[in-house]
Amino acid sequence: MPMDIQRRGRLLLALVGAALLVVLVWAIGSSSQPARAEAPTGPALAAVAEAVAQPGISNEYCLSCHGKPNQIETLPSGELRYLSIDAGGYNASVHGSGGYACVQCHTTIREYPHPESTVQDLRDATIQGSETCRECHEHNFELTHDSVHQAALDEGNRDAAVCADCHNPHYEKQLNDPTTEELWPNARLAVPQMCARCHSTIYDQYKQSVHGSALLGSADQPGGNADVPTCIDCHGVHNVVDPTTAQFRLNSPETCAKCHTDPERMTPYDLTTHVLDTYIADFHGTTVTLFERENPDQETNKPVCSDCHGVHDVRAVSDPEKGLQVKQNLLVTCQRCHPDATASFPDSWLSHYVPSAENNPLVYFVDVFYQFFIPIVVGGMVVFVLADAGRRIYQRVKGGAHA
Amino acid sequence: MTKEKTYPRFTLAQRIEHLTQLVSFTILAVTGLPQKFVTAPWAEGMIVALGGIEQVRIMHRVAATILLLATVYHLVMLGYKLYVTRVKLTMLPALKDAVDAWQVFAHNIGLSKVWPKMGRFTFEEKVEYWAFVWGTVVMAATGFILWNPIATARFLPGEFIPAAKAAHGGEALLAVLSILIWHFYGVHFRRFNKSMWTGKLSEEEMRHEHPLELADIEAGTATRPVDPVDLRQRQRRFLPVASIASVILLAGVAWFVSFEETAIATIPALPTVEAFAPQTPTPIPPTPTPPPVESLTWNGYIGTLFATKCTSCHGEAGGLALTTYADLLAGGANGRVIDASTPAESLILVAQTTGEHPGLLSEIELDRLTQWVVAGAPER
Repeated sequence: MPMDIQRRGRLLLALVGAALLVVLVWAIGSSSQPARAEAPTGPALAAVAEAVAQPGISNEYCLSCHGKPNQIETLPSGELRYLSIDAGGYNASVHGSGGYACVQCHTTIREYPHPESTVQDLRDATIQGSETCRECHEHNFELTHDSVHQAALDEGNRDAAVCADCHNPHYEKQLNDPTTEELWPNARLAVPQMCARCHSTIYDQYKQSVHGSALLGSADQPGGNADVPTCIDCHGVHNVVDPTTAQFRLNSPETCAKCHTDPERMTPYDLTTHVLDTYIADFHGTTVTLFERENPDQETNKPVCSDCHGVHDVRAVSDPEKGLQVKQNLLVTCQRCHPDATASFPDSWLSHYVPSAENNPLVYFVDVFYQFFIPIVVGGMVVFVLADAGRRIYQRVKGGAHA
Repeated sequence: MTKEKTYPRFTLAQRIEHLTQLVSFTILAVTGLPQKFVTAPWAEGMIVALGGIEQVRIMHRVAATILLLATVYHLVMLGYKLYVTRVKLTMLPALKDAVDAWQVFAHNIGLSKVWPKMGRFTFEEKVEYWAFVWGTVVMAATGFILWNPIATARFLPGEFIPAAKAAHGGEALLAVLSILIWHFYGVHFRRFNKSMWTGKLSEEEMRHEHPLELADIEAGTATRPVDPVDLRQRQRRFLPVASIASVILLAGVAWFVSFEETAIATIPALPTVEAFAPQTPTPIPPTPTPPPVESLTWNGYIGTLFATKCTSCHGEAGGLALTTYADLLAGGANGRVIDASTPAESLILVAQTTGEHPGLLSEIELDRLTQWVVAGAPER
């Protein structure tokens, strides 16, 4: 018996030990989640410690020169590089208020005179400088590697955006709510202007659109409505994909549907949420949906939302100039793919209405007719057939034969 | 035991016609139903198995064309039988069929002992034939509309096209269910009727299912006697008429399937925009050196800010001068730029916040300017 208790005790110990091991592994595993947005991890903290441990490389030390106005370097390209930092502005920024030291990003600089710079021109400065963002923002940095910007950069297009083009590292404020990772409304409002710095013609179109005018304001409205999509809601932010591919096109109805099938978002504007299902029910949407599922990179000429409604210049359907509620506008739209279409052809499209007695009554009543006609005819056949089969089975069981 | 006597039921041509209809109808159903129920997983699976939606549509149209050709053949043959051989119109529905149907049903549910005697085509077969005729008419008419929507819209309201789609789908479901229930029960489940393959029925089968026809055959009155001379004469007359009718009908089929080019085959060109179109002046450097802030006053910051960022335009020109504090207070062509009563709505701030002004202050600079204006725009 004592042996038995001992053995049991050992077993219990082993079990507790194994459980502890599992908890430990889980704890380590969950704490080593990849870094996201504004959560600096490993290397960043190490750099802080290093900076603190190395006296003389405080921000005050750097700012003793860079805090003075008009610190200008002439680059090999002849361009002037402004090297002055507004200390107040930096301290108010997300990095400054977080207590980050200059040398945490400017990692190669430890003393004056600085090591020789390889920067050739201003563009070079921005591109090279953005490499340092990876140290803390690894997740978003990795995302940019899948982006159309990175692809262009890899092809040698130095105009392609890098981190510092959109995020000014010295003066950037906190852009999102750290708990939900949702952009603050103010940050959302600023997105299109940011993209406009390189994509100004698209911005000019967006400004006129039903979305852009609500966000940025127009002659009719004050703007400031953060409900509408900005550039990044459709294109993504760090992993901005190439919007000219077949795949992007086939996926675009889902992109629009994200908001346009959400009753919470649509009800305040009195917009229907049946835009996607009515689209899929039609030839166009059927093809696009099936292609999207089976061959996402295959070209199809069946229209997606933007083919009829516009892309960046999407207008309200009631817009007199381009809105699709205006019959002539719809006809012109149809004729882009159906060149021979005449005035009544656009009525073959149900305009995203679910057929009802009010909208598209002909379709509705055909549906209603078959809803009754099919069960009546088929039901009659079933009754007749069952009676016949029943009698035959009954007679076979009884051993009789029919007359 | 002697070989049992058989009676001819279907000619080889009729059997081939049935096979053609069987094949085309099956293809139409297999390629059509998944299009009707496209959002269901089974439908999507079928479409994928058949090679994708575009291929399914092509197969559906090929099968439809075959069925149309079979229909043309049937009509011509019908003309031949009506005019040349002048057969008895055994497929025409009559009051007797309704009575037969009722008697069969009443017998089956035990209300009657009588089992009706039926002729060459029973009421069940007539239901099938005429249902097929009705279905073909509806499917061909609605199919034409779907195949040629632009032509349709020239003569009919556009809404007829989606209505035709609804009817085409509803009728298809009805047709398939009818075949599965009525036809399959009648000739497969109740008793496998091989006559559509062998072309004949046994005497036993004839006695059970078509006793009146058997009686006619035995009495020699099943077919009308035809005078060979008359027959040849009618054949001579029929041939040219049938040829012309066939050509017209075949041309109709060709017209049906190729009437219009509904849509372009290419991807429509969207108006393109230049993706990379940097704003001018390019906001480089991204962080222009901000002047140091001594105090949030004209003398301590704002004056210097304006001098570095604004006065190149708003010095002499630009409808507003911002060179001196007095200039600023005086306002410009659009009136005062600082609104003492509601400072936050001052023109100088509004112009910077809408994003329309050619030159824009940075976020920090605008913050400071706003604070300064709200604080009453102090000079010192």
